Amino acid sequence: MRLNKAWIVARKDMAEFKTNKYILFTIVFMPMIMGVLIPLGYFLPIQLFATEDSGPPREITLTPVTVYTNDELTNGTYYNANFTNMMVSNSIIESSYIFDSTIISTVVNNSISRNVTFYNCVVTKSNLYNPALLEDTVVANSVIIRDEDPEVVLITLQMLSFILFFYMMIPAVTPTFIASYSFVGEKNNRSLEPLLATPTTDLELFVGKTLAIFIVTMVATWVAYIVSAAIVNILAFPLLGYYPLPNGLWVVGFIMLAPIFCILSIAANILISSKVTDVRASQQIGGLVVLPVLLFVFLTFAGPAFSSVWMMIIYSIIFLVADVWLIYFSTKIFNREEILTKWK
Amino acid sequence: MIRTENLTRKFGKVVAVENLTLDVRKGEVFGFIGPNGAGKTTTVRMLCCLIAPTEGTAFIGDNEINRDPDSLNIRQMVGLLPESPGLYERLSPYRNLDFFAQLYGVPRNKREERIKDLLQMLNMWKKRDEPVGTFSKGMKQKIAIARALVHDPEILFLDEPTSGLDPRAAKTVRDFLSDLRREGRTIFLNTHNLAEAERLCDRVALVNTKLVAVGSPMELKRRYWKRTTQVQLKAISPSILSAVEALPFAKNVRTQDSKLLVDVGNPEEDNSMLAQTILAAGGKIQFISEMERTLEDVYLKLIGGGS
Ligand SMILES: Nc1ncnc2c1ncn2[C@@H]1O[C@H](COP(=O)(O)OP(=O)(O)OP(=O)(O)O)[C@@H](O)[C@H]1O
Ligand SMILES: [Mg+2]
Repeated sequence: MRLNKAWIVARKDMAEFKTNKYILFTIVFMPMIMGVLIPLGYFLPIQLFATEDSGPPREITLTPVTVYTNDELTNGTYYNANFTNMMVSNSIIESSYIFDSTIISTVVNNSISRNVTFYNCVVTKSNLYNPALLEDTVVANSVIIRDEDPEVVLITLQMLSFILFFYMMIPAVTPTFIASYSFVGEKNNRSLEPLLATPTTDLELFVGKTLAIFIVTMVATWVAYIVSAAIVNILAFPLLGYYPLPNGLWVVGFIMLAPIFCILSIAANILISSKVTDVRASQQIGGLVVLPVLLFVFLTFAGPAFSSVWMMIIYSIIFLVADVWLIYFSTKIFNREEILTKWK
Repeated sequence: MIRTENLTRKFGKVVAVENLTLDVRKGEVFGFIGPNGAGKTTTVRMLCCLIAPTEGTAFIGDNEINRDPDSLNIRQMVGLLPESPGLYERLSPYRNLDFFAQLYGVPRNKREERIKDLLQMLNMWKKRDEPVGTFSKGMKQKIAIARALVHDPEILFLDEPTSGLDPRAAKTVRDFLSDLRREGRTIFLNTHNLAEAERLCDRVALVNTKLVAVGSPMELKRRYWKRTTQVQLKAISPSILSAVEALPFAKNVRTQDSKLLVDVGNPEEDNSMLAQTILAAGGKIQFISEMERTLEDVYLKLIGGGS
C-alpha cells in the first residue's frame, strides 16, 4: 500500500468534486445551514423564554438605616432603608435594599433588589437579583442578575446532547451523495477501466477514492461543528453562565463517532454503487439504507448513548466493528476482476 | 514481446477466448481482428492484467500476467486505450493526462513536457484547459490515446481506436498510429476495420474465440489464394481463350466482362508468355495487373458471414 498513489487518486477526485455543483452544494451549504439553523432553532426559544439581560453586578455600597417589613407605604421618599415583604407605591426609593416585595409606580435608584415585582416603575443604577416581574418598567443603567434556573439549565444541557444527533447525520448522509457520483459516475463514464490499467493496487485505488470522500465529508462536518458550537456558546452563555462547548460528549461525537459514521456510510455506498447504474438511484438507495438504520439506532440508543461520554465511546466501538466488517466487504468487491466483469 | 500460451477465458458457460497461443514481436504492429464477441476485448484485458485467464497464461516481456508483483510491472510497461475513452469529463485534458502521468510515476519535471508533446502532436494543445465534456468524440479519442501514451509505454494496446469516428478523425488517428509505429513501439491493435489493419499492421491474427489464422496481410492472402493475373482486353474471342487455356501453367482461366483472369504459378516468367500468347491470338491488351486480394477477402473466407 503506497499512500502517495492513493493520495494522487484522492486529489483528482477532490478536483472533480469542486466542479460538481451538487456535491459543492452538499458539502458547503448543508453544514452551514445545519450549523446555523439548528442552534438558532433550539436555543433561541429557550433563551427568549428564560431571560433578559445580564452582566456583572454594579458596585453598590449601602448602609441601611431604616427597616420596613410586612407593610404598605405610599407617597414617600426613602433613603438608606431596608424593605422586606413590603408593598411600596408612588414613592422614591434611594440607596436601599428591597427583598421579596412589590413596588408600584415608584422610582428606584442606586438600590439592590431580590425577588421583587416591579409594576410601572423606573429603575436606575441598581442590581436586580431574580426580579419576579418587570412590567411596564424602565430599567436603565442597571444590571439584572438571575440565579440559575434549574429547569432551564436542565433543558439546555439536554438540548446540547440532543442536537448532537443532527450533526451526526452530516457524516452519515453526505457520503451518500458524493459516493454516488464518485463510484457510479466513474462506472457509467467508463473511466474506471483506464484507471484500473495503471500500476496501482486495488487497495490503493480503494483507499484513494474513499479518502477523497472522507476528507471532504469530515471537513464539512467539522465546519458545521465549529459554526454551531460558536452559536450554541453565544446562546447558552446567558442561560448557564458559562460556555458549554466543547464538552466531552461533543468532542467524542465529532472526533470519534463522526468519522466512524462517515466510513460506515462510504463503505455501504460502495456496495450499493456496484449494483446500481444510476447516480440518482444510488443516492436514493443510499439514503434509504443509511438513514433508517441510523434512525433506528438513534431511537433505540440515542437516550443512553448521548447521555454520557462512556456510553458514547462504547457506542462508537460498536460502530467501529460495523465499519471493519463493511470495509472488508467493500474491498472484496472493489477489485479489478469484479469491477470489469460483475459490476452492473 | 507478448506471448500467450493456451490463453482461455470463460464467463460462466460462455467461452470468450479459447486456447489462444500467439507471439507478438518487439516493435511490430499486430492487428487482432475478429467479429463482435470474438474475445478481442477480453484478450486485451487479460494481457493488461485487468482480468485473470481461466486457463493458460501469457508473458509481457519477461513478466507473467497475474503474478504479483509482475502485474504492476506489466501495467507500467503497457498503455491501454479501452473501447470507450472514459475520460474525466469535468476535468481538462491537461488535468486528465497529468493525473495518469502521476499514477504511472512520471517524474514531475518530465510530466509537463510529455503532456505538451502529446497534445501538440494530436493538435489539442490549444484546448488543454477546457473541460473534456465539451469535446467531440474524435477529440476525446485523441485525448484517450494521449493518456495511453503518457508514460511512454513499450507496448500499446488499442481497442478499436477508430470505431465511431468520422473519416477525417479516423485518418488523424491512423496517421498518428503510423508515427508511433515508426518510433518502434509494439502496438497491439484490436479492430474491425480491415483496410486499416492492412495499412497499419505488420502482422494480423484473425480470431473468433479461437485463433483462426495469423501472419502478415500479404502472407495470409498468398496462403489462401494463388496469384491471379488479370488482363484487360478490348474484347475476348474464343480463340484467345483456347490459346490461353492451352498454356501449361495457366490454371483456372475465367473471364469477367472483357477481363481475363488466370491463376499463374510464377508471375515473373509466366506473365510474359501469357501476354505473347494473347497477342499472337490477335488480342488487344489494355492493362495487365495482379488481381488484388484484400484482407477483407481473407476475413470473409475464413470467418465468413458470421458462421
Ligand atoms: N463480463 C462479462 N460477463 C459475461 N460475458 C462476457 C463478459 N465480458 C465479455 N463476455 C462475453 O465474452 C465474449 C467476448 O467478448 P469481447 O468483449 O471480448 O468481444 P470483442 O471481440 O471485444 O467484441 P466487440 O468487437 O463487440 O468489441 C462475448 O460473448 C461476451 O458476451
Ligand atoms: Mg471489444
